[in-house]
Amino acid sequence: MTTNTRTIEKPKPNFETKSWMFMRYSAVLLIPLVFGHLILQDVIVGVHRIDLDYVAMRWASIGWRIYDALLLAFAFAHGVNGIRQVLNDFIQSDQVRKIMHWGLFLLWLIVTAIGAIALIGGVRPIS
Amino acid sequence: MSNLKTTLTGYASYRGREGHYSFLLHRITGLGTALFLIIHILDTSFVYFLPDLYQHAINLYRSTLFGIAEVGLVFCVFFHGVNGLRVAFFDLIAPRLWSVPRQRFSTKITLLITLLMWVPASAIMLYNMLYHNFGWFGG
Ligand code: HEM
Ligand code: HEM
Ligand code: HEM
Repeated sequence: MTTNTRTIEKPKPNFETKSWMFMRYSAVLLIPLVFGHLILQDVIVGVHRIDLDYVAMRWASIGWRIYDALLLAFAFAHGVNGIRQVLNDFIQSDQVRKIMHWGLFLLWLIVTAIGAIALIGGVRPIS
Repeated sequence: MSNLKTTLTGYASYRGREGHYSFLLHRITGLGTALFLIIHILDTSFVYFLPDLYQHAINLYRSTLFGIAEVGLVFCVFFHGVNGLRVAFFDLIAPRLWSVPRQRFSTKITLLITLLMWVPASAIMLYNMLYHNFGWFGG
């Protein structure tokens, strides 16, 4: 008796597959990063105790700067890629999709650059 | 335009029960958090670019309106995070465990964990707001 089985080569992961994986792997990292940051800043410290001196005090320690850098890199990339996924469900034309991808890429690049410059430059005194 | 209509009516009329609601809530909370994060990265970068204006931005966060919005933000982040972990667990670690009853059950557990974290956090934030903005509790 012969069986009719056929093996198909597993397709190479394309960009969408990788972005799908990134959303899930970054999720695991974001739990401690985002929950930690939010509970500390918003619940334990609270906005009424946050000012320039507070940020200067925190960024004086390199550990918190690295923490914020990871937050900036992963949370924002995850968020912008998420916005891309949502918009993809609404867009059917390839041309519009291309414009949307480039627009979001530029938004991500510019906002990440601004955040990174501030993080590296640190708090400047009031003139 | 018809694409927009088709997708949106799908959001409203699809009857996937727990899975449908958690999908919608995951979308809305993710988008809300992303919107907040864009503003937040820019206002934080004032410490370097416009230090004179940083205090001004923080004063906005201290207002009662933003205080209420923050309680909402914390819900968004908690729900999105816990639900995202649930999604990642079933997709990456245990796809074999996927079944409709289990999806329904785990969705309810997700909501429960979110509320258990969110209610005490909101209470603390509300206390802070009443203390600083309304002079309650001797503030
Ligand atoms: C706290 C930890 C977080 C976890 C565990 C998490 C998890 C996830 C997962 C697994 C997905 C993919 C859902 C899918 O493809 O069906 C996702 C989507 C998304 N995430 Fe997150 N996330 C977290 C934080 C964030 C943050 C901080 C933002 C905003 C900056 C964000 C914005 C989004 C958006 C906009 C989507 C797309 C929603 C959709 O496609 O319906 N997430 N998240
Ligand atoms: C309303 C609640 C929040 C408060 C009060 C708050 C407060 C702060 C403060 C004071 C800083 C300055 C640096 C520091 O002290 O570490 C900061 C930076 C940062 N926060 Fe938040 N945060 C909140 C929510 C969030 C959320 C939900 C996210 C992620 C989704 C986030 C992501 C970041 C990032 C990426 C930076 C670094 C920004 C840069 O490099 O310019 N924050 N936050
Ligand atoms: C023609 C399109 C679709 C068909 C034929 C379909 C069919 C199904 C079936 C048979 C199930 C399992 C049965 C059940 O949950 O009771 C299911 C579950 C599910 N579907 Fe769909 N679906 C469709 C579109 C969608 C869309 C547009 C969404 C997102 C908005 C969606 C999200 C889900 C989710 C989240 C579940 C899990 C439901 C649960 O845990 O109860 N489906 N779908």
